[in-house]
Amino acid sequence: MAATIERLPSTELRADVYRRGRNRAQRAVTYLLLTIAALMFAFPLFWTVSSSLQTWKELRSFEPHLFPAVPQWGNYAMVFNSVPFARWMANSFLITAITIPGVIITGSLTAYSFARFNYVGKEVWFVLMLGTMMIPTQVTLIPQYVLFFNLKLINTYVPLTIGSWLGGGAFMIFLLRQFIMSIPRDLDEAALMDGASPIRILWGVLLPLMKPALTTVAILQFLGDWNEFFGPFIYLNRVDLFTAAVGLRFFQNIPLETRDPRDHLLMAAAAIMTVPVITLFAAAQRYFIQGVVLSGLKI
Amino acid sequence: MATLANRLRLSGFSEMLTTSRQRRENFYGYLFLTPWLLGFLGLFLGPGLFSLYLSFTKYDVLSPPEWLGLDNYVKMFFDDPLFYTSLGRTFYYAGVGVPLGVIGSMFLAILLNAKLRGLATYRTLFFMPSLVPIVASVVLWKWLLHADFGIINQWLIDLGWSDPPGWFGDRRWAIPSLIIMGLWQGLGGTRMIIFLAGLQGIPESLYEAASIDGATALHKLRHVTIPLLTPTIFFNMVLGVIGGLQVFTAAFVATEGGPGFATTFYSLHLYRHAFDYWNMGYAATLAWFFAFVIVSLTIWQLRLSRRWVFYYGS
Repeated sequence: MAATIERLPSTELRADVYRRGRNRAQRAVTYLLLTIAALMFAFPLFWTVSSSLQTWKELRSFEPHLFPAVPQWGNYAMVFNSVPFARWMANSFLITAITIPGVIITGSLTAYSFARFNYVGKEVWFVLMLGTMMIPTQVTLIPQYVLFFNLKLINTYVPLTIGSWLGGGAFMIFLLRQFIMSIPRDLDEAALMDGASPIRILWGVLLPLMKPALTTVAILQFLGDWNEFFGPFIYLNRVDLFTAAVGLRFFQNIPLETRDPRDHLLMAAAAIMTVPVITLFAAAQRYFIQGVVLSGLKI
Repeated sequence: MATLANRLRLSGFSEMLTTSRQRRENFYGYLFLTPWLLGFLGLFLGPGLFSLYLSFTKYDVLSPPEWLGLDNYVKMFFDDPLFYTSLGRTFYYAGVGVPLGVIGSMFLAILLNAKLRGLATYRTLFFMPSLVPIVASVVLWKWLLHADFGIINQWLIDLGWSDPPGWFGDRRWAIPSLIIMGLWQGLGGTRMIIFLAGLQGIPESLYEAASIDGATALHKLRHVTIPLLTPTIFFNMVLGVIGGLQVFTAAFVATEGGPGFATTFYSLHLYRHAFDYWNMGYAATLAWFFAFVIVSLTIWQLRLSRRWVFYYGS
């Protein structure tokens, strides 16, 4: 390196080479840091899969095994045989099948109202809507529970899904509103001139353009419901109604026929319930990122 | 609020009500707002006010509420040691976890924002843990951090720490364990993506100008990147605090508040009163105080932000 610099004619070029060397060092450091971070993030994921394929004797030894001696695929079958995990997964899917259309329909309607109409009291409602994000869920928890209890709706999916049919929550509405605001109003106006009704404009003009935002909302709703623990936990107390999240915790604690440790089975169950989310991410990665960008930082 | 009043005045409030165009706007505006409005009134405002009422009563769901006046509030402040303990633990968790999480996410985003090849793969890897459902993540981390057989303790022993922590089973280490788990899940998630979006909003010309002035990478980080990211840092701090103080699932599934109340966060304390002891009235008192704390902290952060958040171009 030093030899190269000495052979260079002008000081300007010398500075250039120096800078290039510094850039190379910088790049190496960046890659090094990124790789260390990547290992730290990836190892637990790897470990979930690896330990889900080990025997409990391999897991409970003082010599860690990074890989199973013989992959125990039977662990996965054991999960489904020990607890109704397939049923729980199906229940989780059922809930998302109810909530996703709900948030898409009622969320779009609300967002349309906020984005395109100018009515008395709109700004107050809008501020109130954003304000709901600040209030902890515990404040409404007890009366909501009492309400659903008195309506005999415990052990139904109504308490878990009704919100999605009533706008779907401030965040989703805000995200959709931001998206509608980014669509030129000329399009609405043109349709209006042609005599289209507001519903027709939403349906025929805006919704087709909102597909990316709607996909994002659907994905966020899926993730939220799949992950949700507290609601299903308090509103469902029949084992056959459980969702995967509540079921996994149940599996952690119930007595089984065998008194052997069940760490490997729990890891298999954790892996099973993560698969749908990772699959969705692999299929629709860009919408995950878009959701964040859409929600806009420009509150 | 002042701007709202002004805007109403400017747009001609009385005119708004009379013209046919305005009548139409009102009609359709409210028509499409109806689903949300019903939800807001029926699932938010109504229950919120009812829980305010319940906070002054003794209520077990089965018999009608019994008026107690301020008794629940007196009990909360003077006769419930777990109220202070759980509040303290919650502040410990959020106070350590949120700043670490926000700063960590910011640095990951800065690394990912370098113009280098293969960064999309890194971004995907960083993002993956945030997809793991919390309950699954708890199962995983309880095993990773198992006192005797956990691989992390086995490594620590190999590194020469002969008596590594008991993690979730140790009063002193239970909250740090939850924080570590939260960082693994949260650092590369949406918060990092928000920072990436923020970084992409910084004009390239500022870096060029800094380069001409001979600024090193560290100078640029300190005098360009971080100041221009302050709005994003602020945004993430506000959301992080609101979310962090409400921590429930991780602690409930991992330790059920133990060992020995070590992870009995405020929301767990509230949950116990509501659903284990059926003290719905007292739980409502705890909930309203909690709302007061969170709203005050948010307003305080907004106030404070004027001193440190820098908006480029204003």
